[in-house]
Amino acid sequence: MTAQEAGLDPEFRQRVVDTMTAVLARLLDRSEPVTEDMRLMEELDLSSTMGLELMLELEDQLEILVDVELMDPDQLKTVGDMATFVAGHSRPG
Amino acid sequence: MTALEAVSVYMPPLRIPIESLAGPLGLTDTQVKLFRRFHGLREVSRDPEASLYDLLMKAAAGLDALRGQEHRVRYVLYARAMPVVAPYPVNPLHEVCHTLGLDHALAFTVTHQSCASGLLAIDIAGRLLAGDTAAADGPDDPGPGPDDPGPGPDDPGSGPLALVLSGEKAFTREAQMFTDTTVFGEGASACLVSAFGARDRLLAYASNVRGEFDSATGENDAQMQREYRPCLAEVMRQALDEAGLTFDDIRVVLPHNVNLVTWQRMCRLLEIPVDRVVLDNIPTSGHVFCADVFLNYQTARERGLLQPGDRYLAAAVGAGGGATFAAMVFEH
Repeated sequence: MTAQEAGLDPEFRQRVVDTMTAVLARLLDRSEPVTEDMRLMEELDLSSTMGLELMLELEDQLEILVDVELMDPDQLKTVGDMATFVAGHSRPG
Repeated sequence: MTALEAVSVYMPPLRIPIESLAGPLGLTDTQVKLFRRFHGLREVSRDPEASLYDLLMKAAAGLDALRGQEHRVRYVLYARAMPVVAPYPVNPLHEVCHTLGLDHALAFTVTHQSCASGLLAIDIAGRLLAGDTAAADGPDDPGPGPDDPGPGPDDPGSGPLALVLSGEKAFTREAQMFTDTTVFGEGASACLVSAFGARDRLLAYASNVRGEFDSATGENDAQMQREYRPCLAEVMRQALDEAGLTFDDIRVVLPHNVNLVTWQRMCRLLEIPVDRVVLDNIPTSGHVFCADVFLNYQTARERGLLQPGDRYLAAAVGAGGGATFAAMVFEH
């Protein structure tokens, strides 16, 4: 399902993607950029703890609260998947 | 059939906010936020004035069913996560036995399955008691079968008992926190186990020891993070299968208090509602080592969640020198 199909605000989702890729590059200490199509586990080796740290940073930077309890990490394969989840399961914090 | 005759829990009244642990444990602001925001760990129970002996005694003191029945206690099992808790020759377990008038009982510690040792101790206690009964009945007696209620409710006061203790002091950094996962609280539990009781009967026990998940080397930490929830789900389903039940038959789940987000995600994986899991104590007590299940049992009873005949599932994970995933099904 695309972000548009999911009824998400594309502008907000793009902000989530931009923030997420920047935070991930820093958390993972990567010199190469992180892109939306990258696979979280296979390519970025993102642990569940680091995933929560990412959520914490997104909440701080975007001033939102993410419904992490609704997140199923196994269903979120790529950076884009996670951004779509955050855009669709968050509220102003 | 193994049964819990009585359960008593002691939780110290003092609560320490997670933020106060940041300095002593060397936590970053992010780690503190993570514990509070997602792991739901707001504070932990501590009793700075109480020794380990004191904690165990306070739990045992609440076990009214033990009074006058000390002669029936054959075994005292102390389930704990930490392999060493007192300098030799100090032995809090033997001291507790002496004070309780249980010097005649065989007392030993069950460890090496970390925080899953509590469930293991229940299983061992029941099997020791059942084995004694079978032996006393003679070599030709096959012992109690699965449908044999033994002395049962008509004869509740004569059979042998075991006392299962758990509880620990958070006395080292390792005993206070599992990095980015949980913070430990102090408390203790005492549980009287019989081989053939009618209350809180053990219907099934399943466990899976994964020795390769050794935090000392850290080599398989990433694999353990990936497999933690599936492994726990597997033993929970295995215990249910052995009991001939499904999650639809389970009134409540008594979890280990590792953190909230793990159990929220477990519920999604198991496709059960979060409110079926007794998560009340995580924010205010932390992970009370092996005593979590007993603490949550007490909470379930206080909230009126368990009615006679209700089945419930207890689950625990012991992580450290290897990991053990364990689950038990009981009938209240």
